Amino acid sequence: MSTGEAVTFWILVWPALVGAIGMVLARNAIHSALWLVLTMLSIGVFYVLQSAPFIGMAQIIVYTGAIMMLFLFVLMLVGRDASDSLIETLRGQRVAAVLLGIGFAAMVGTGVYRAMDNVTPAGLEQANAQGNVEGIARLLFTKYVFAFEVTSALLITAAVGAMVLAHKERRKGEKRGQPETMRARFYPGNYPGPKPGPGVYATSDSVATPGRLPDGTLTDRSISKILPVRELTSSESAPKGTEK
Amino acid sequence: MIVAQDPTLQDFGHDPWWLIIAKIVAIFVFGLVMTLLGVWFERRVVARMAVRPGLNQAGPFGLLQTLADGLKGAFKEDIMPRTADKVVFFFAPTIAVICGFTALSVIPFGPMVSIFGHKTALQVTDVPVSVLLVFACSGMAVYGIVLGGWASGSTYPLLGGLRSSAQMISYEVSMGLSIVAVFMTAGSASTSQIVAAQRSGQPISFFGLDLTAPGWYAILLIPSFLIFCIAAVGETNRAPFDLPEAESELVAGYMTEYSSLKFLLFMMSEYVAMVGMSAMVTTLFLGGWRAPAPITTFWAGANSGWWPLLWITAKIVIMLFVFVWLRATLPRMRYDTFMRLGWRVLLPINLVWILVLAAIKVLREDVDSTSRNLILAGAIVAALLAALLWPSKKKPPAPTLEELAKSRPAGSFPLPPMDLQVPPSPRARRAVAEREPANVGAAPEGEQE
Amino acid sequence: MEDLSLPKIDYAAVAPMLILFGVACVGVLFEGVLPKAARRVTQLVLALLGLVAALSVIVWQSDTRVLTAGGAVAIDGPTLFLQGAIIVLGIMALLLIGDRAMEHGGAFVAQAAITVGSEADRKQAVKEQGATEVYPLTVFAIAGMLLFVAANDLLTMFVALEVFSLPLYLLCALARRRRLLSQEAALKYFLLGAYASAFFLFGVALVYGFAGGVEFGTIHDSVTESTQSTVLLYAGLAMIAIGLLFKAAAAPFHVWTPDVYQGAPTPITGLMAACTKVAAFGGLLRVLYVGFDGVAWDYTPILGVVAVLTMLIGAVLAVTQTDIKRLLAYSSIANAGYLLVGVLALSKDGLSSTMFYLVAYGFTVIAAFGVVTLVRDADGEATHLSRWAGLGRRSPLYAGIFTFILLAFAGIPLTSGFIAKFAVFGAALDSGEAWLVVFGVVTSMLLAFPYLRVVVMMWLSEPGESTPTVSIPGGLTAAALVIGVVATLVLGVAPAPLLDLTTSAADFVR
Repeated sequence: MSTGEAVTFWILVWPALVGAIGMVLARNAIHSALWLVLTMLSIGVFYVLQSAPFIGMAQIIVYTGAIMMLFLFVLMLVGRDASDSLIETLRGQRVAAVLLGIGFAAMVGTGVYRAMDNVTPAGLEQANAQGNVEGIARLLFTKYVFAFEVTSALLITAAVGAMVLAHKERRKGEKRGQPETMRARFYPGNYPGPKPGPGVYATSDSVATPGRLPDGTLTDRSISKILPVRELTSSESAPKGTEK
Repeated sequence: MIVAQDPTLQDFGHDPWWLIIAKIVAIFVFGLVMTLLGVWFERRVVARMAVRPGLNQAGPFGLLQTLADGLKGAFKEDIMPRTADKVVFFFAPTIAVICGFTALSVIPFGPMVSIFGHKTALQVTDVPVSVLLVFACSGMAVYGIVLGGWASGSTYPLLGGLRSSAQMISYEVSMGLSIVAVFMTAGSASTSQIVAAQRSGQPISFFGLDLTAPGWYAILLIPSFLIFCIAAVGETNRAPFDLPEAESELVAGYMTEYSSLKFLLFMMSEYVAMVGMSAMVTTLFLGGWRAPAPITTFWAGANSGWWPLLWITAKIVIMLFVFVWLRATLPRMRYDTFMRLGWRVLLPINLVWILVLAAIKVLREDVDSTSRNLILAGAIVAALLAALLWPSKKKPPAPTLEELAKSRPAGSFPLPPMDLQVPPSPRARRAVAEREPANVGAAPEGEQE
Repeated sequence: MEDLSLPKIDYAAVAPMLILFGVACVGVLFEGVLPKAARRVTQLVLALLGLVAALSVIVWQSDTRVLTAGGAVAIDGPTLFLQGAIIVLGIMALLLIGDRAMEHGGAFVAQAAITVGSEADRKQAVKEQGATEVYPLTVFAIAGMLLFVAANDLLTMFVALEVFSLPLYLLCALARRRRLLSQEAALKYFLLGAYASAFFLFGVALVYGFAGGVEFGTIHDSVTESTQSTVLLYAGLAMIAIGLLFKAAAAPFHVWTPDVYQGAPTPITGLMAACTKVAAFGGLLRVLYVGFDGVAWDYTPILGVVAVLTMLIGAVLAVTQTDIKRLLAYSSIANAGYLLVGVLALSKDGLSSTMFYLVAYGFTVIAAFGVVTLVRDADGEATHLSRWAGLGRRSPLYAGIFTFILLAFAGIPLTSGFIAKFAVFGAALDSGEAWLVVFGVVTSMLLAFPYLRVVVMMWLSEPGESTPTVSIPGGLTAAALVIGVVATLVLGVAPAPLLDLTTSAADFVR
């Protein structure tokens, strides 16, 4: 490890660890997701440190950028108050899980640490001889071409699965979308605007004065139902402010 | 003759520490100044388009207005909503700004120059995947908006944040696919190499004719260019795609609860993101720091030394102008139309275009000229035939106003008579003694009777 | 940069997989293009045609022994045999999946997105035809299994594992009746499956660290030559084994099996019990025989313990079950244990007998689930054991068939179950794994008890009010039943041709 590499590593190893632990311990689902984002970002930088810039950037774009964003989207849709109930259906499973988890982590950690003692590195220079991106492309399109192409089957399955599990077919007329609502609103026979208000005339300001439609006819719809229908007296219907 | 010196990837990473710091500070200052000027520029341009003077009070041409606004904003009360998630609320704007500035670090601003005896490129750094770095930064910047919306603990910001996350997921796909076309053509994912690849046109042979393809990818890869630009507007949350802050529906969207410096940070992040995206469009499609075509023919030195800074700034400003132009002229899109545009239009077009591009590359490189011409001729004939045989739908002529009025069913809301005479107001009669009644629907004065 | 050239691919050898992937893609396209009424028949015919075409290519290519696609795919005797087995069993499962005679609209829900128990749900349960996406999904799963048994490096194996698992997770969630149970089953299967995949991948990474490659050939070489720490090798192998044993439903990675088998639509349970088992053991065989045979002495005791545990848990817990599908699930777990005994023989005989066992068990288990689909009342399948009491009086034919199947499971002579158990135990004895055989025989006797209890219940009880009717099977289910029962009988009476075939196929290429 060069100095810069070591410095970056020792700076970022703490966010990575704290993020991982925080992700498990956080009560709030969004905080949990954010801790995970922190860990993934740090891991992305670790990849870059280890001469794999492409994987590092893919990690940041795909995992932190897209997948975690999708997580956040769903969590925000569900709402911030939806937290897990803390009732254990299996007694003691939390403790057991913690113990087993720590035990497994310690076992794998020490095992791999010991195994890395006298390891002979395969050589990053050789793998990255023609550039990191080119190196990955070379493997994808020669040695692992079959697996790479078959991955498309996985993607198609995932897409079909999402449709099957989440898509409801709507029959026509079952639910009106925004464009249909608008079309119906402006369809001949329907009146799109608010009803004409009563009594807003130069000649009268009584709410009992019915409004006029554009062609000059009076409309009952403009008067409140509780008002008695009556003829206006001549003084009421006379223009206000003109008596002199 | 001075030839512009393109940096290669090996030229990076050897700068002394003071040069690195100088570059970083320079890029930071560039971002800040562009923000200050960008706000001024936007308000001036929008004003011009609305036929009003715009900023003209503080300083010459109102140039200092943004500064004044910034100072004023900084001294406003910093409000922390009671329901806010305090930590996230605090960090959200900083995330947005940091990501915006980080993206600027891999934009190539010029060729190799000499600074105090050190030969170095006018670019903070470059990596083999620097375009992806910009991409990652723009993806992370959205976290600022989304988290700001969520952490505010109120409905409108939450809706804004939700919209923003959906918007980012939808438009980053189209954006990524446009970049793929650039990668395929340039053969590299590093910004400096992509600029270098647009240096000159490539010779192509077309039915025996030897032509030179244009160097700029904006022309060579025009579908990618257009889609990238559209997606860039979506990605930066600018009008007509500014749904996360749609003021007519969401007050101010994700920024509703923000005030003082935090609000300013959000504002700044928006403009820095705009500058970053403009610089990205310039780098990927508009030849980067190179002078546009006619200049170099009569001025060979245009691409050397510090001149390229001028060209790239000009290109960035032009792209910024386009952003402002869009905002001033287009109404905001409805949310479902916006999503449909992203998934059903941009994405399929992009995929088909990449397939076509791959086919073209195979034709150019792996197929001999005779069969290539045959295939091309076949494709052209097929396209012509398809165009010829495409069933054309004749639209019935649009009905006139009278026909429309007559076709309304009984019980429709009544229409005013076409020759309506508005009666004079009794009050008006009192004020203006003898005035002719206004004649709304009738013909102009001269043609009466 | 020098030019890249695609590695040579023997297209004839990989044609079965390509055909099935192509058919599945066409099926997905049909979903978008065809009108609803025409989909089911088209999809079913298309899927069956694809499977038959793939099978005929396998028969045509039966002498191929080749490593192709850059060493990622190995087409050899076991591959071809297991692929053929998966396809034949897949055809039977597909016949069950396609049948709509017993229930209006088939065994699958029309729209899985509709909330369970809502008004719309009740409406669709009565009226609508089942979703037709199940056919392309099934074909994808089968294609993934074909690749899984052919994969010659761990990476391809992992991709294949995911390709065949993902459609299965989905299919589990699509039951028409008892939808909540079905969705719960799918979720459990998905989460635990993802967990197992993660283990597998972690193991691949560790093994890569040890061997510097993921091809089985490289691993085999480096087991003898590498100077790296063997911790990586053992830890990696253990984790890979966890991933594979999960799919094979071996204890202690079996906990998902009863819930998933019970909740999934019964035809899918049949598919999982038969085809997934073949694929999982095919993968396990290749990993252990080709990649890690150099450390056989180290893993045999551990896997032996797993096998014993699997047999014991399967047999003991089967005794306590009251639901026929859960009973069959525990029986399937126990059978995974017997299969492991065959695998651990680590000899040519072990390989051939395991392959024979897989085929014999597959035929029988699909027929068993076929019968389960027939016994129904107004609420769908009547799976509680108490409901089966007196079935022999009401419908002697199907009760007879089911009795025969249960006897085959129990390993009574003249059924394929006997020959299969005999073969694996014999192979294990030859390899000196007598302790496994002892446990095998003991648990077989233990396991016979629940089977016989069902038989006794069916024949010796009076049919009560709640005894369900046995539906007349549609042509498709009847065909699957006939194939399964006849195969069980023929493999029990005249197993020689298939035994010869497995023996001649029992050679891996490396």
